[in-house]
Amino acid sequence: MNRRFEKRLSFVWLALSAITLAQLALGSFGERDSLTPNATVTSSAIVIALIKVRVIIREFMEVRHAPVSLCRLTDLWVVVTGVSLLGSYFVGMAFSTG
Amino acid sequence: MTTVAGAEPRADGPDEEERTRGAPFVPGQPDMWVFVLFEALVFTSYFTVYVIRRTQSPALFLQSQAHLDLRVGVFNTLVLLVSSWAVARCVQAGREGSHRTALNNAYLTMLFGVVFLVSKVLEWTTEIEQGFSFTTDEFFSFYYFLTAIHFLHLLIGFVVLGVAVYQIRSPARRSQELVETCATYWHTIDFLWVLIFALLYVMR
Repeated sequence: MNRRFEKRLSFVWLALSAITLAQLALGSFGERDSLTPNATVTSSAIVIALIKVRVIIREFMEVRHAPVSLCRLTDLWVVVTGVSLLGSYFVGMAFSTG
Repeated sequence: MTTVAGAEPRADGPDEEERTRGAPFVPGQPDMWVFVLFEALVFTSYFTVYVIRRTQSPALFLQSQAHLDLRVGVFNTLVLLVSSWAVARCVQAGREGSHRTALNNAYLTMLFGVVFLVSKVLEWTTEIEQGFSFTTDEFFSFYYFLTAIHFLHLLIGFVVLGVAVYQIRSPARRSQELVETCATYWHTIDFLWVLIFALLYVMR
């Protein structure tokens, strides 16, 4: 197998795995306050997940080699998802009655 | 893969010369990409409804979320990442004509898929044994709904991987484009799980 490509794939996989392990720390952050909503943890979790998703799409799914239209479409979905999730969270929390 | 600039779709993948030239190509069949984008949007709507409902009863969601084991979520994510890495290697090996390596990587992908399935079933069993079922509360309804619908996609993924293996095994029917299409589906299962993991296990 093409060594450069193989190295790149392995590097991407290692980076994604390292970020996932870092999420373990993020999820356990302030364990004693785990029953209190935390906007920093939530926004970090969503942003980190979307970064991972984009890396999977670009590298594993090879969208970086695809025509610009496909790159833009996938990026657009990542942005729409980010805006939708973060927007719902912050607007929802502002009007929360719970 | 399908070349752009009006070229006819080819049954096999881009050769090394084409790659070196850096000509853009769509990995797999474009129809699969339409399906992937559609599925991604459907899941975005599920996730959005979940986040909105969560903000209306934050205490209840956090209390129920505390019963999930974050380490299991991390383990499942790592397992799917390995499977995605393996299927990406399968595509590349097939493109270079190393069909034995491609086949081994397809089997490796299946193996990690099975590990994920077993781990998920064990996790569900543990939750149910502890008294947390679909009807326990709103958090667990979302938890079972999102993980079950993802599980269903994963089961379909095994059929898709079976098609890839069937293609790779025989030189007569080998189609690199079809193998790439199968890999695209499998990666979709992976990235959807990455979001499910963040929303169910990590967010507060």
